[in-house]
Amino acid sequence: MKSIGIGLHLDREDVEPVAKAIAASNLFVSAIDVDDDQPLSDRELLVRVAQTRAKLLERATFIAVRYGFAFRSAAEAESKIVTNAARWRALLEENRTRVELTLKVVASTQQQKPDRNSFSSGADYLRALHAAKNAAVVSDTFKREVEKTIGALCAKQKWIARDAASIEFAALIERASLLKLAPAGESLKRACPDIPFLLSAPWPLEVFADADHE
Amino acid sequence: MARTQEQVELALLDMLDHLLDRGVVISGEAVISIGDVDLLYLGLNIVLANVDTLSRVLDKRK
Repeated sequence: MKSIGIGLHLDREDVEPVAKAIAASNLFVSAIDVDDDQPLSDRELLVRVAQTRAKLLERATFIAVRYGFAFRSAAEAESKIVTNAARWRALLEENRTRVELTLKVVASTQQQKPDRNSFSSGADYLRALHAAKNAAVVSDTFKREVEKTIGALCAKQKWIARDAASIEFAALIERASLLKLAPAGESLKRACPDIPFLLSAPWPLEVFADADHE
Repeated sequence: MARTQEQVELALLDMLDHLLDRGVVISGEAVISIGDVDLLYLGLNIVLANVDTLSRVLDKRK
């Protein structure tokens, strides 16, 4: 039997009985048990983990662990999180009442995604992909509208280049303000009717906990 | 208000995108063995990442 780690939490009560709570480095790791021979790429397992994530978020805000964290003992889990545990605990305490939202928007100047068959080196292909991603932009007008309508509700916000075709706005919003999000999204749609976007919330701490995006 | 099939599928895709591409990366690892011979070592956070995620990882390492 192995455990699939789902999130990092402040209290045991934030996890149980939705998932198993494993005490590690002054935090609790939420996890579900799966058979050793069950592949992590199993579709049903992916959906089960995603649904458990959603149920955990109903209880309290937590730091999401990117899918793929598997371990066989509390000691192993502890050894994997000990380095960053203090930072993660501080982040959880600071954002206890907040959740993340994301707004994905199609870039106004889309870059052609590089054709992988045109590259003899995988590294060159990845570099070209990265350059295309960073070249994607959205109009300043749309950005201003997002920041005026959605950003005004949020405590923290940032724009992230996602891929060659899309940009993402990520923000932290108080749970108490979530009801204002749908009207704000409608207002944005009216202000920018020609720009398709996907607004979704609530999410656990993902972008704001990920050192890649700091 | 009832959700359309398209909305349900979009929500599922968004949920899986968040699961696979967001959150803190905690190194996972696995060794594929046959008998007593270790054949492959896999860093799970890399194996499960999509190509765009790899691009970000490469950028961070530069």
